[in-house]
Amino acid sequence: MKTRDQEYRELFMAEALEYYDSMSRHLSELERNPNAGPALNELFRLMHNLKANARAMGFTDLGEVAHHLETLFGLIRDKEREFSGPLIKVVFAGVDALGNMIRAVGASQPLPDATALLDNLDRVVRGEAPILDEAEAGETEEESNRKMELSDLVYIQVKKLDNLLNLVGELVIDRDRIMTLAQELDNPALLATAQHLFRISDDLQYSVMDARLVGVGVLLNKFPRVVRDVASAEDKEVELTLSGQDVQIDRNILQIITDALLHLVRNAVSHGLETTDNRLKAGKSAVGKLTLSAMTERDDVLLQVRDDGRGIDTEAVRRKAVERGLTTANAAAGLDEEAVWAFLFEPGFSMAQKVTDISGRGVGLDVVKLALDSLGGQLRVDSEMGVGTTFTLVLPTSIAVKGALLVEVDERPYAIPLMHTDTVLALQPGQISVVGGVMVTHLHEQSVPLVPLRQLLYDEGEEPLPSANKSDIEGTQHVLVVNYNNRRLGLVVDRFMRQQNIVIKPLSKPLDTIDLFGGVTLLGSGQVCLVLDVPTLTRLFLARRP
Amino acid sequence: MNKRILIVDDSFYMRTMLKNMLTDAGYEVVGEAANGAQALEMATSTEPDLITLDVILPDNTGLDVLKSLRQIQPSAKVVMCSAVGQEVIVNEAIENGALAYIVKPFSEEKVLEIVGAALQNDASEQTA
Repeated sequence: MKTRDQEYRELFMAEALEYYDSMSRHLSELERNPNAGPALNELFRLMHNLKANARAMGFTDLGEVAHHLETLFGLIRDKEREFSGPLIKVVFAGVDALGNMIRAVGASQPLPDATALLDNLDRVVRGEAPILDEAEAGETEEESNRKMELSDLVYIQVKKLDNLLNLVGELVIDRDRIMTLAQELDNPALLATAQHLFRISDDLQYSVMDARLVGVGVLLNKFPRVVRDVASAEDKEVELTLSGQDVQIDRNILQIITDALLHLVRNAVSHGLETTDNRLKAGKSAVGKLTLSAMTERDDVLLQVRDDGRGIDTEAVRRKAVERGLTTANAAAGLDEEAVWAFLFEPGFSMAQKVTDISGRGVGLDVVKLALDSLGGQLRVDSEMGVGTTFTLVLPTSIAVKGALLVEVDERPYAIPLMHTDTVLALQPGQISVVGGVMVTHLHEQSVPLVPLRQLLYDEGEEPLPSANKSDIEGTQHVLVVNYNNRRLGLVVDRFMRQQNIVIKPLSKPLDTIDLFGGVTLLGSGQVCLVLDVPTLTRLFLARRP
Repeated sequence: MNKRILIVDDSFYMRTMLKNMLTDAGYEVVGEAANGAQALEMATSTEPDLITLDVILPDNTGLDVLKSLRQIQPSAKVVMCSAVGQEVIVNEAIENGALAYIVKPFSEEKVLEIVGAALQNDASEQTA
């Protein structure tokens, strides 16, 4: 696997450079005190490790030089050789050569020839005098003083990166503010500086976001083990295929969805895939297929868990949803498959053991949903009876900065994350019908309910929203279609402002208990703009539809 | 149940490689120790089924660690890991209860073969 080879190579380099630095340190200690036991032990150990690692990586010559030096330091430690005279020169030449070889590995260049050096090392190991070219030896020593190499790799705590990202978020807000001020003051010098600041902070923001990215593979590569364990516990045969390990994503996002993904994979093996007997009866291959794949789509990362198992029994879910009072029998009958599957993500729905048995799905899917909601992500499901089920997790590549659409209601701006927006429509009254007090329009042969955003924002209480009247609909209606949980909802707003990247700040107390708002952002004008939480808006509408 | 393994090696690179090989093969790597003190502490807290032990460690020689390990975790099977050139110590390690040894650089097949065989080895045969 390419990624793993790369990882090994980076680890090897980082450690080799560290060893090389320590060797140089211990050598100067040895120069001061030729019998320093701890320094000799360390040099011996470092050479031993470098040898083993270099050989594992296939750098034979590097391993060979380290091996000779290991032997030599072993002899010095055991007092069979003395760290003095020409031997010192050979040791230094040897360590210099190691440094050059390590650097060559780092630069992907061929390793320098070490024949003469190995010959000399052999001689001093045997207790013979080395053949030294004085001029050459002197030059090498001088060279070693000039070249100081630090590892190209830095390990950093995620906490520090978090802090950096927060600071960049603050900076971006101030930047937008300065940009607006410059435009208002109309001062050309200020405007030019503000534009420069804009570009720089943009670059900075993306650099910080980039530093936080890791390959999805670090998570996906843990799954072969999980699948094997669950499969063997369930006595099933499962073949797991991974793809897209190189797709990049923010490390914290990966952390947050770890449990969700684990859950989906376990579910797929224990409930989605059939037993070998049942598969054979259904005319399928004995071995169940499970695919975990990652791909990039626009600014999002899609993670898919696909099985070729029994699929979701839509009718069973539909019945259960009615039984549990989530919908009426009439309404349920009119729902398409996707709308029915959405019930699987309802809190508590999954707890009904019976549904799990019938549908083979559902244990704790609401938990998966919650993890995705907290990221502003989406969970989609697609299934066909007898053919299989695919869960798709739509994740933002990065946290903190999100694309959003700004809309206006009663002269106040609101931001809606692009992740949840499907499309914007300008509808004429003739394109809207009223069904049971709810405005409805048709989009791609699907009916989409419409609701004035104003009503969801202002009408408090539990009672149903006021019924819509066909005669009240006047003029062009600006509709933003949002999508949550396979459900579409059209929000009627006064006007669309613009699309922009926003930095979302959590609401402070006591406003943090209002679910409707996912946070707050500051616009360049200094105006406070509430960020709407689409999942809550959708739930609110469903609970209070007229 | 998956066999639980503790890796003792002072090279991060070696530990990572061993861990990947063992994890891929279905073993549970319960800990990674970089020196003798850590090895003894982790062997007590994790009670592994098997320990891979590097011969040359920074604070102690691997041999001293082996002797202590045999006292505090007699049930744990120990496989020595070493690059060539340390045959003397390895032989002494075998005399002190190590079951086998893996020569670096190792191949995945070799590691799994030796670890698998050591785990199957009955406890009674273990005391040399």
